[in-house]
Amino acid sequence: MNMTQQISEAVRPHDWPGLADPVHDSQRLFRQLLGAMSEPGTLTELALPALPAGAAISPAAWGALLALCDLDTRVWVDQGLARANLAAALAFHTGARLTDDPALADFALVTPDTLSREDGFALGSDAWPDRSTTLIVMVEALAQGEDWWLSGPGVPGRRGLALGSAERALPLMRVLAANRGRFPRGLDAFISSGMRLTAIARSTRLAGPGLAATDDAERQEESA
Amino acid sequence: MNTASNAQGVGAGAPTNAIDSGYNFAYLDEQTKRMIRRALLKAVAIPGYQVPFGGREMPMPYGWGTGGMQLTASVLGADDTLKVIDQGADDTTNAVSIRAFFERVAGVETTTATAQASVIQTRHRIPEKTLRADQILIFQVPIPEPLRFIEPSEEETRVMHALEEYGVMHVKLYEDIAHHGHIATTYAYPVKVDGRYVMDPSPIPKFDNPKLHMSEALMLFGAGREKRLYAIPPHTRVESLDFEDHPFEIQAWDEPCAICGATDSYLDEVIIDDQGARMFVCSDTDYCNSRSEEKA
Repeated sequence: MNMTQQISEAVRPHDWPGLADPVHDSQRLFRQLLGAMSEPGTLTELALPALPAGAAISPAAWGALLALCDLDTRVWVDQGLARANLAAALAFHTGARLTDDPALADFALVTPDTLSREDGFALGSDAWPDRSTTLIVMVEALAQGEDWWLSGPGVPGRRGLALGSAERALPLMRVLAANRGRFPRGLDAFISSGMRLTAIARSTRLAGPGLAATDDAERQEESA
Repeated sequence: MNTASNAQGVGAGAPTNAIDSGYNFAYLDEQTKRMIRRALLKAVAIPGYQVPFGGREMPMPYGWGTGGMQLTASVLGADDTLKVIDQGADDTTNAVSIRAFFERVAGVETTTATAQASVIQTRHRIPEKTLRADQILIFQVPIPEPLRFIEPSEEETRVMHALEEYGVMHVKLYEDIAHHGHIATTYAYPVKVDGRYVMDPSPIPKFDNPKLHMSEALMLFGAGREKRLYAIPPHTRVESLDFEDHPFEIQAWDEPCAICGATDSYLDEVIIDDQGARMFVCSDTDYCNSRSEEKA
């Protein structure tokens, strides 16, 4: 169709970067992911080589996939992100299987917009809340800010985030804010832009424009 | 792999110590580590919930810390400094052996100094020195289920956790009061994490329970035989269960540590002759040594 499309089709799986030292690189990436999930809203930079031209996912998201996926994991990919032969590259580098059924996905590559269309991801059950999908989200920008306020485990006081346009991030934040109402079921998210990554755990309380103020009500109830 | 596109800085973490090359780094194979790592991320996201994992056989019997070791092996990097404590001591068989194990299979630096460690594997104690945000504490857990001695069925306890049905735990503490006049549980004292899950903090003395609350450091718990792992993220509310008229209390001693004079640490009673004479000394050997050295 255009130049980008031509390049995408020419990308071979091994044009996507792997880990030069799989043992130590995946350990280092995991520790960054663990740190991010332990302290939601903190920013970390995942050092990774450039992705091939035409790739629609962030290097940080690719790093998370390389560190966490193998033949035991199933990945659901939003069609808009499956560019530059991503599916073949993921299979080539990690052995992970792709799935069309979001309810079977261990990981899902999404944008905030995906979540306004697709709500079938696994939440786990009350008895087995760990059987849930972990979202790996592409956002247009990621920085400390004052659009979204996080509190709860891993956050002393509260922590502020900005994800570019608050309006466009809203479908994501609505889904993550709903976690509190159904805890321990829920979706955990790694949120990435470029090399940068943060996490929001299902235990995180969220406040921001367009979100119901359940957080304050809950806190009052707890202190009562 | 397209080596040309791999950036600098990747692969810089190769270990330098003498390492047994017959094993993968840190003993476990990479796929096992990834499985445990994925489980750890869930555990951190659901504080206090016990995540099942495919526990592997380790070259030692269950009960010697196989759960803690699998977590350590999955978390450990070549640039980490590892400390291992057993009942607070760095110099007991278990602590020395596990330290030597990771020196051999991972080539990592080890230390006995709490402040110098980035990863601390522990059995039955939390160090006296306050932990920092850049440290991870990994507990060896014998029985992860706090409700197990009340309800032997795993299926039942799972439902109880799902329904947040924890009244029976308070009944057990109440029975203590009825029998002894006070809550007689002194170790593995149950806690509630972030107002939701009741959790066994492993057999640490209840003296250490307050250190779980709003800790700066991430705390991970691994049970090898039971194949469960769980976590308390930093800055998380952890309350010890109690009653309004019988509030939670920690142990206290009438005398200071006989070696370093500390009045704020957990003391072990040591019999020193066959006449019944005894002394009380810090269980945390690093804390005691560093205080003694400061004085000298």
